[in-house]
Amino acid sequence: MDTFPATLLALAITAPILVGLILLAGRDLPRSFSSGFAFGGFAIPAVLGPWLLVLWSNPSTAPQQFQSEGFWGFGFALNGLSAPLLAMTSLVGLAAGIKALTQEVEGRNTYLGLILFMLGGTLGVFGTNHLVGVYFFHEFALIPTFILTLFWGGEGRRPAAMQMAITLTAGAMASLAGILIAVDASGVEYGAATFESVALGLQNAKSIPAATGALVLFGLGTLASLFPFHSWAAPGYSAAPTPVSMLHAGALKKFGLYGIIVLGLSSLDITGGTLGTWFLWFALANVVIVGLICLTQRDLKQLLSWSSVAHMGPIFLGIWVCGVSGKADGLDAAAFLMVAHGLSCAALFLLANAVRARAGTYRLDELGGLAARTPILAALFIAATMASIGLPGFGNFWGEVGVFLALRDQSLWLQALVASTVVISAVYSLRAVASTFFGPASEALEKRFASAPFGDLGGAERFAACVLLGASMTIGFVPSLITKSVNPVAADITTTSQHNAKVPVKAAPAAPAKR
Amino acid sequence: MIPFLADIDPLFKVLAPRPADWLSILPEIAVAGLSLVCLLQAMFLPKALRSLIPITARVGLVLVAIMALTNGPWVQPTDVASFAGLLRQNLPTDGVRMVFLLSALLTSFLAEGFLRERDAAVADYHHVLLVVTAAFMLLVQSNHFVTFFLSLETAAVGLYVLVGYLRRSEASLEAGVKYLVAGGLSSALLLMGIVLVYGALGAVPGVTDSLNFTQIGKALAAQAVTHTISPLTLTGIALILGGVAFKLGAFPFHTWIPDVYQGAPTPTTAFLGTASKAAGAFTLVLLATGPFAPIAVKLAPLLAVTAVLTLLAGNLGALATTDLKRTLSLSGVSHAGFILAAVTAVLVLPGVTAFGYDVEQVIVIYFLAYVIGTFLAAQALVSLPAVEDHRRPQLALRGLLRRSPLLASSLGFGIGSLAGVPPSVGFIAKLLVLTLLVSAKLWWILGAALIGVAISIHYYFSILREAVVRPTDADEELAPLEIPFGTRFVIGVLTAVSIIGGLFVLIGR
Repeated sequence: MDTFPATLLALAITAPILVGLILLAGRDLPRSFSSGFAFGGFAIPAVLGPWLLVLWSNPSTAPQQFQSEGFWGFGFALNGLSAPLLAMTSLVGLAAGIKALTQEVEGRNTYLGLILFMLGGTLGVFGTNHLVGVYFFHEFALIPTFILTLFWGGEGRRPAAMQMAITLTAGAMASLAGILIAVDASGVEYGAATFESVALGLQNAKSIPAATGALVLFGLGTLASLFPFHSWAAPGYSAAPTPVSMLHAGALKKFGLYGIIVLGLSSLDITGGTLGTWFLWFALANVVIVGLICLTQRDLKQLLSWSSVAHMGPIFLGIWVCGVSGKADGLDAAAFLMVAHGLSCAALFLLANAVRARAGTYRLDELGGLAARTPILAALFIAATMASIGLPGFGNFWGEVGVFLALRDQSLWLQALVASTVVISAVYSLRAVASTFFGPASEALEKRFASAPFGDLGGAERFAACVLLGASMTIGFVPSLITKSVNPVAADITTTSQHNAKVPVKAAPAAPAKR
Repeated sequence: MIPFLADIDPLFKVLAPRPADWLSILPEIAVAGLSLVCLLQAMFLPKALRSLIPITARVGLVLVAIMALTNGPWVQPTDVASFAGLLRQNLPTDGVRMVFLLSALLTSFLAEGFLRERDAAVADYHHVLLVVTAAFMLLVQSNHFVTFFLSLETAAVGLYVLVGYLRRSEASLEAGVKYLVAGGLSSALLLMGIVLVYGALGAVPGVTDSLNFTQIGKALAAQAVTHTISPLTLTGIALILGGVAFKLGAFPFHTWIPDVYQGAPTPTTAFLGTASKAAGAFTLVLLATGPFAPIAVKLAPLLAVTAVLTLLAGNLGALATTDLKRTLSLSGVSHAGFILAAVTAVLVLPGVTAFGYDVEQVIVIYFLAYVIGTFLAAQALVSLPAVEDHRRPQLALRGLLRRSPLLASSLGFGIGSLAGVPPSVGFIAKLLVLTLLVSAKLWWILGAALIGVAISIHYYFSILREAVVRPTDADEELAPLEIPFGTRFVIGVLTAVSIIGGLFVLIGR
């Protein structure tokens, strides 16, 4: 049983990829078979992901038990940050999969296969600890994203997919350069370049090229839609098919943040000096400017796309404050928020598409009064909105409150500015809810309902939304599910980052990384 | 016995090839023999059996490839000179053989249907193709400027024929003439350079043969220590490198590439883009790390600047094109930039490795990836009906995913490999070169390479976009395409290699 968790991990990552491969190869497989088969591909990780998190949090299992060689040269492994992210990804994947299965699309098997590839790649991102491996899996998941958007996307898919492809590749290339330079500076062999070994090597490195931190921060920041490299995100998510938006905005995008934490924050001193100042201003712009942009949106999906960019702001701020203050609580909160945002954001995209399926539009001024016709959809949508603006009871609460608390030692104007965004976020989210579900229905909507009456949310989508919101509530009520796993590694990373920033730390030299 | 013959005899005995020498180039002899077999078949086989000719060529090439892979006297694990120093073999040269053999094999698959459709002779094409292949295989083993120039010219003459092969197509003929003129110029540069080096180093004491790479290297090393390298020698070396840059398609000698590649028959274009470019790349490595290694300090800045300019010229040029063959040809220029970057890395930091691979191995891997990517894309192009071979606008790809998912995926994986998208072998190849650049701390080239990749995504994805994007016009006439079994097979194998080949390269590293 020693390597049992490692087997689970390898299975969770490979199962969707293998199922996806078979679906891609068998374009003409009968529908009944392919549906069940694809569901298996989505469900296996969804079972294994949370299970792995539980196993990970269990003190009797050692990190080594999660490591395996992997058949393509990049070993599989987990750490305290990636275990919750992997679990979150697997649940978002299940919900996205269910959504995809309910859709009527051309070339259904190919569609499902590509989404499974995306899921497998995203799981791989969080399931390996090799620096090049992480990058590899990220790109592996990104390519299906483009193809899915190009062929199955909605309005404006051509320019959106191209913009996404070019911006994200530019960002990925910059981060790859940063990763390679960091590995080189650490003196670790490329083949053995895991997070831990590179961080250790960088601690003892004589010199790290000055641009490394900037390349990693802005390269990976582009992938995580850090202002001003965020312009691809809103059109991309708006044009992409819903399962793709869910998976990318919810899970895959977190790779950028994850990379910034494990490489940038821990070893490259991205919060110090001029770079740190830039980081702060950009993160603030994410919160404030993008928040204001959200206020002007009149299209539900555009609004969600923009708000998913805005919500990266607190996470960036959490990372920043951790590096500046040398206290781990900012990072704890940021990591928590990463998981929680993935769940709430995916739920919102899922439900918004359900709105569109009924009303035929995303335009807020053409919606209204849906609560009377579709009470369950309305209830779930409101719950998801509450989660996303950080009401207690949902996971996002702990993350956002944690970030604000971590900022307590910073200057007052900064705190005030960040706190004001809670108001902005509440305004645009609640206004969207109000104009979608309450008030009088628009004429067009009335006509539509009269000609083709639509029902409430279907069972499958109900289930998918409940999985996401249930998970968010679970971690909202039992935050220790995440913190037990995140906090030790966050403390380690904070210690390492302070060591690398050459700031004297009171604590004894970094304890050997336990988790 | 006549007295002076007795003097010649020992000299002759030194120079005379030993049986081991012949054995060492058995793969080359086999390929050359194969080319003759093709001709003989064309002469003696009845018309009904003519279709055997390309099959013979392919089977032969596969057998030679297996031979080159097995450990025989034709594979030298360490550096061994043969034919009295005319040739030199080591493990990398054997890897390079594989690049040429693979490229010829895939060209044959492309060419058969293509030529039949256009009513052109298949046998002659294969004959010339194999001669060129054998010449390229010899070229990269050269250790002497005579073998170097002879094999290069043999290949060049063959390629002139292959470029202008479609005699009824004006574009093909025009490309042939352009290539002849450009190639003639490059040969002239090269020959002038060789002569200057020969003359300048001929008088150096201790040098008996100033065309021999080993001796040139020694003479330059001695002169480099005393700082007495004459400007004449340097001019000669610059001219030689200019001639090689022509083959490779490096800036500023890349201007012939788009026109010739576009006009040439597509199979020839693919062969030019892979085998001919690989020949240029490996001769550059051969010269830069061999005879010219002592003046690496002088060469490195030159190559570095060329690498940056080539990367930018190729990528920016490709950005402004809408014809598929032209786009891919200019993107090939940017790949030459990657090769130049790798060579610069080894000049700056001798013995530099990436994931445990040295520069020669990295370049072999790069070219294998490039061959796979190019031929996957070329398969898709050749299978698409086109009125004129030299006009292949991007718009012709529209709706390809519906017409033939197989061709669309072939194009997708090919373009993906060329663009360096994980997990393709092209990504691993680019990763290896980038790693070399980081190890050698060549930040400017690294920056240019990364910017180049970001630019390249635009034109590569524009191609893919046309093939993949759902046509908005529903009534567009989109007949499904029938793909013959042979093509399916080639696409399947290449796709598999493009996916798992990259992982295979990194396993255990």
